[in-house]
Amino acid sequence: MATVGSPETRPLAEFLQTVAVTRNLDRVRRGMNVLLSRDPPPMGAAPRDVVYAKGTLRLYRYRPLTNEVYRIPLVLVMSLISKPYILDLSPGQSLVEFLLREGFDVFMVDWGVPRPEDNRLRLEYYVLDSLPRNIEEVQKVTGETEVTLLGYCMGGLFTLMYSGVFHDAPVANIVCAATPVDFDGMRLFRRWSDPRWFDVDRLVDTLGNIPADLILRSFEMLRPIERWVSYVRLTDNLWNDLWVKNYRLFYRWVNDQIPFPGEAYRQMIKELMWENKLMKGDLTLGGRRVDTTAINCPVLHIMAEHDHIAPFAATRPLTTIVGSQDKEDIVLKGGHVSLVAGRNAWFRLWPSLSQWLGVRSV
Amino acid sequence: MPDSNNRPDVVQLWRNWLTDTERQWNAFFNDVMGTDSFGRFLGGYMEIYGTFQRLVAQNMERSLSTLNVPTRSDIVDLSERLSTVEERLTSIESSLRALAEAVGHPTQPAAVTQLRPRRTRRPPNQPSQVQ
Repeated sequence: MATVGSPETRPLAEFLQTVAVTRNLDRVRRGMNVLLSRDPPPMGAAPRDVVYAKGTLRLYRYRPLTNEVYRIPLVLVMSLISKPYILDLSPGQSLVEFLLREGFDVFMVDWGVPRPEDNRLRLEYYVLDSLPRNIEEVQKVTGETEVTLLGYCMGGLFTLMYSGVFHDAPVANIVCAATPVDFDGMRLFRRWSDPRWFDVDRLVDTLGNIPADLILRSFEMLRPIERWVSYVRLTDNLWNDLWVKNYRLFYRWVNDQIPFPGEAYRQMIKELMWENKLMKGDLTLGGRRVDTTAINCPVLHIMAEHDHIAPFAATRPLTTIVGSQDKEDIVLKGGHVSLVAGRNAWFRLWPSLSQWLGVRSV
Repeated sequence: MPDSNNRPDVVQLWRNWLTDTERQWNAFFNDVMGTDSFGRFLGGYMEIYGTFQRLVAQNMERSLSTLNVPTRSDIVDLSERLSTVEERLTSIESSLRALAEAVGHPTQPAAVTQLRPRRTRRPPNQPSQVQ
């Protein structure tokens, strides 16, 4: 019988050490890690403290990484649809970490995961009550009167609505990323939610909050083949550690959807999706008109050309509805997620964002 | 990309084909799903989904009540009451904090109050002004 290391077993050992075999064994190992969700890459790791909390809402302050920061604090306003760690994806790939290194004092408004009883929360709660309260807390903690608001996706809508209602709001600058304003441009969502066949009242009255799974499936339907092709691409790239890590980060975030508060959903569908009131200047919240033309602080608008969730046609007109003289559009090639967390973002967007904010944050 | 012997890279060709195929199929499905008939079908599906959810919820509620076990609405009620207690605690806490601050005792968590970096940073092309 052959023993280990004997001349009879040597060809087998040599074969097992060939590049092709080790690469394929690595593929199997990484594939198993993905399948079994083993060793997940760290997410949302930037150190932070809770400054204010109410219900599911948390206002975080990230710990500065520089001894000297820009005077005006930067407040990130998140969307209601997804988890906020897309902006703090992973060490080295985090917008928050980048902004901290660039010397910004960064806060984040995280709305949290709505509980069943939060189905009564309307847009008024977010725009007229919560956002002003959070800004007050930022003012208290920093001692500054003005803040810069950076809204991602629906967070950008909240930012515009807030500044459109409170014309004397202490907002020095606004940055909106992937923010749809012209709901006529959301072709498929608009068709699916057409009042001729979509009974939003019945849906909200029955379900309360709109389940996370329903939201995830509706996003997937915008690109029905994408998920299947992503599995093929994953198999093709299983040898590449960085590729697999990024795949796991993105898809973990994409699949980590949260329910949508029922009443806010009803308002979004009726007032924005059906009547496109924000674009027409007819939107009112708590009896107060949202007049975006009264916004006159500097506005930076970042959009993605191939965004399937907030299509280019829906985001493009944002700067046309604000009254600011100092406004700028940045259009990138990526999609909804890669706009803020992909390679394009790391190399093109983040440096431009820092430069734009830097000169306006002193 | 062809190699040094000008042979096409088959794997790269396959990857390009995959990307093109994905784009074409997505476009095809988007066209189908953008029609009125698909919208009507989806509306019907949502109607059935809602009805099913309502029936399940009603039956579950009835069954749990029969078994003398808390139902979902009982839990939601409890959660709501807890939220109210939580909110009241927060408001008492902030009143106490305001009182403490008025007599010179900052009560924010140390990690937050200790973050007092100088707010004098200037963009790289403008010199910093130390205050």
